[in-house]
Amino acid sequence: MEGAGLYLHCPFCSFVCPYCDFAVRRLGDRDLGGFVATILREAELRADWPEAIDSIYLGGGTPSLLPPAELERLLGGLRARLPIVPGAVLHLEANPEDVDDEALGAWRDLGVRFLSLGVQSLDDRALRFLGRRHDARGARQAIARAVAAGFEVVSVDLIFGLPDQDRARWLADIEAATPPGVDHLSCYQLTVKPGTLFSRRVELGRLAEIGDEEQGRFFAFTHEVLEARGFEAYEVSNFARRPDARSRHNRKYWRQVPYLGLGPAAHSFTGRERFWNEAEEGAWTAAIQADRLPEAGRERLEDLDLAQEALLLGLRCPEGVDLARLESRWSFRPSARALARLETFVTAGLLEHEGTRIKPSRRGLAVADSIAADLAC
Amino acid sequence: MDQIRNFCIIAHIDHGKSTLADRIIQACGAVSDRDFRDQILDSMDIERERGITIKSNTITLDYEARDGRKYRLNLIDTPGHVDFSHEVRRSLMSCEGALVVVDAAQGVEAQTVANLYIALEYNLEMIPVINKIDLPAADPERVREEIDADLGLDPFTAVLCSAKKGIGIDDVLEAIVRLPAPRGDPEAPLRALIFDAHYDPYRGVILYCRIMEGRVHTRQKVHFMYTDAEYQVEELGFVRLKPEKREQLEAGDVGYIVCGIKTIRDIHIGDTMTWAEKGASAPLPGYKEAKPVVFSSLYPMSRDDYEDLARALEKLAINDAALTYEKDTSAALGFGFRCGFLGLLHLDVVQERLSREFDQSLLLTAPSVLYKLTLNDGSELDVDNPSYFPDPSTIREIREPYIRAAIIIPEEFLGQVMELCREHRADETVFGYLSVGRIEVKSELPLGEVLFDYYDKLKNVTRGYGSFDYEIIDYRPSDIVKVDILVNREKVDALAQLVHRDKARPRALRYCERLAESIPRQQFKIPIQGAIGGTIIARSTINAFRKDVTAKCYGGDITRKRKLLEKQKAGKKKMKTVGSVDIPQEAFLAVLRNDADKKK
Ligand SMILES: Nc1nc2c(ncn2[C@@H]2O[C@H](COP(=O)(O)OP(=O)(O)OP(=O)(O)O)[C@@H](O)[C@H]2O)c(=O)[nH]1
Ligand code: SF4
Ligand SMILES: [Mg+2]
Repeated sequence: MEGAGLYLHCPFCSFVCPYCDFAVRRLGDRDLGGFVATILREAELRADWPEAIDSIYLGGGTPSLLPPAELERLLGGLRARLPIVPGAVLHLEANPEDVDDEALGAWRDLGVRFLSLGVQSLDDRALRFLGRRHDARGARQAIARAVAAGFEVVSVDLIFGLPDQDRARWLADIEAATPPGVDHLSCYQLTVKPGTLFSRRVELGRLAEIGDEEQGRFFAFTHEVLEARGFEAYEVSNFARRPDARSRHNRKYWRQVPYLGLGPAAHSFTGRERFWNEAEEGAWTAAIQADRLPEAGRERLEDLDLAQEALLLGLRCPEGVDLARLESRWSFRPSARALARLETFVTAGLLEHEGTRIKPSRRGLAVADSIAADLAC
Repeated sequence: MDQIRNFCIIAHIDHGKSTLADRIIQACGAVSDRDFRDQILDSMDIERERGITIKSNTITLDYEARDGRKYRLNLIDTPGHVDFSHEVRRSLMSCEGALVVVDAAQGVEAQTVANLYIALEYNLEMIPVINKIDLPAADPERVREEIDADLGLDPFTAVLCSAKKGIGIDDVLEAIVRLPAPRGDPEAPLRALIFDAHYDPYRGVILYCRIMEGRVHTRQKVHFMYTDAEYQVEELGFVRLKPEKREQLEAGDVGYIVCGIKTIRDIHIGDTMTWAEKGASAPLPGYKEAKPVVFSSLYPMSRDDYEDLARALEKLAINDAALTYEKDTSAALGFGFRCGFLGLLHLDVVQERLSREFDQSLLLTAPSVLYKLTLNDGSELDVDNPSYFPDPSTIREIREPYIRAAIIIPEEFLGQVMELCREHRADETVFGYLSVGRIEVKSELPLGEVLFDYYDKLKNVTRGYGSFDYEIIDYRPSDIVKVDILVNREKVDALAQLVHRDKARPRALRYCERLAESIPRQQFKIPIQGAIGGTIIARSTINAFRKDVTAKCYGGDITRKRKLLEKQKAGKKKMKTVGSVDIPQEAFLAVLRNDADKKK
């Protein structure tokens, strides 16, 4: 049986990017030792987590800010407190500026198998627009070094849909990001989130988001180009050059496999319940120091909720959703309206029927959210 | 009886009838300053809000004239709008005289003339009243000429006043005194004309009557000659601002009667009331009730509200004898009612009263007239609902109602107005000079044509100087087709309509375009088409949206996504599904409301 996942949120970055709405703050001259200690106390409070854990994901924020010694203490501490199986896959997110041969060696020695690099772009103009601290040359070097260091999977994160990005520039980004040895790619469309500097710029009329038609074209273009380069889209934003390069951890989210989240704002799922932590680092720390679970909320999911989520998440992946399973597991059946709608989607080439399974086409993937909502209601 | 005067106030819409009534009421001391409010007789919310009169209103007043004698005045204020001209007709039947109010700036207009003709039919004595002389644009001398030329009344009998400023009101009252007193033998068997009624939730129907001959007293048994029903009088009296109970009414009087009648449907306006025993042998000359000429289906916004709508209509109809309704269904909109109205304003008023007084929010289908069909087998069929329009191959002939429109305009607009009539399929348009510079255009056109944008266009081309009145004259053969609207290739029954073939394409195109603007884009392209039978005559397209998927479910945060789904689900409730396309109510409103809302 597939084990559960463990997600760890490191809420610090050296700078906060102007488009980012994650629960992060500037590290400044803070000492990360205290943070590691708090995480480990949280892990203690969660020591009754029942499921064996076979993947660990160190995300954030920028977990690559953790000095190797702290990382080692963290991982050792987690293994001692939680039911982590010996062969668990370890993912680490790293920012290019933190990637040097020393760090790479240390991470390898610590058992990191899946390294994803927060490159975002390999175009200096785009990087400046995104307010990133690294330049294209640094990013290219980081990729080359990571590939040379011999991780099982090296993955690159890219952002597309920037205001004056044309196809040629985007294609150049993709090409530069996928030299041999980079077998995984995450491509995210730039979205302007409320409360960010970018959204302020939009309000002031200094930044305009591209329209959905243009977004749709970029989306299709991205998928085509990557397919031609041997990548398979196994999720809306995730591409793998070989099946075993897929992110074992992330797939748990989309397939409703349980996961435990530690750190500020981290979300957890037991298969029946979801709970989420205080998003503010201060509130999160205070709760744990008072020996309380740092939860900000918790909800129980009924069969209907789970079935609807299964649609919402399943349609993000090309294998889609098995309606028979929704029925047998959660007694969920689409309404008459939804079924009529389903047929229309099939006719329009957005969905494909394969037995009891419905699978989104490429065009369907691009509108998976509304398709899911239509089928769920 | 010598000291009774029964009169009504008639005029074109907005010329100041109700305001003049206010001044007369105040001059007679019938209301304290504290209780007074403008247009005091307009008691319905919708009348007050729109500042128009919809129902006639009666009030009895006491007036001490300059000759020192005391008179009892029975005043009836009437509505000016053409949709409610039946109210004027009823009111006139109970009077000996009428004040014909003319706006000193606007002059004689179409309804002034129309109402004058009705008054002539009933042999009423008329006093021209030139109102609003306080207006800077007032031109009483010109209006005097119009009164002479257009109305054929003696301009030298005209009384000048300003109802708003209270100028000349005494002269108006003295002129009223000069109207003829009622005649009629109080010793003869009772003959009373029922000229109005309204429903009171506590007391049932309250009848308004004019006693022509004889007497009637409380507890007396009465017989209604038209409905052939008998009731016992429970209460009667004069209609003051608050009813004044009395023991008896007699020839010449106007008053109210309560006799245990449950709904307006049980009575007939124009009926003659007499004694149950030893009653009169012949009824008074009758009155033809107004028949609905405009039809539309009403659907509740939410299917769950059907029962509420049914109750609301039932209640409304208790007080509105002209409103007809029967059950109707639509695949797109569910259950509703097919309703008949006297005109677009009536339709509008009903819709607004339903939403206001009964908290119903409604969708109305495109208004239609009643078509008369002869089928190939020789049988006759009346159709006012596109759903019941038969297969065109079975129809031998279709006839549609025609009106004679009377349009009064300043001479310079003649060209445009003639053109407007032509565009609206006028059969014959003639015109003549009323007075220098003023023209009356008479045009015979299909009623269906004035249901859409006619009023607006007339107002536009005449810059507000044109006035309009109409009467239905006959039915004439016409080439009417049923236009279907298809969304994603499925017919939306509630949007089907019957129109003249020449108008089918532009109408269909307008619908298609409005729908395309108001149906949100979906994941796939949606064709919107207008069709006659299998032939597409208009189309537009709603393009698909191309991307909505969120890039990332960050760190397993799925709750946020589910919230989104919940929101979408709530939104769906406000949609009507046709085939597999969700059409928001706003889209139906965008298409349907505009057409029905023309005349305000
Ligand atoms: N300046 C001026 N305005 C007046 C006078 N009499 C009435 N009005 C205004 O004209 C408008 C219409 O007055 P109403 O008394 O409601 O007219 P109406 O003839 O009863 O209208 P309907 O009942 O809808 O046909 C109101 O705004 C009045 O205030 C007047 O003598 N002078
Ligand atoms: S590095 Fe990543 S997590 Fe940190 S601010 Fe930038 S985008 Fe957000
Ligand atoms: Mg009025």
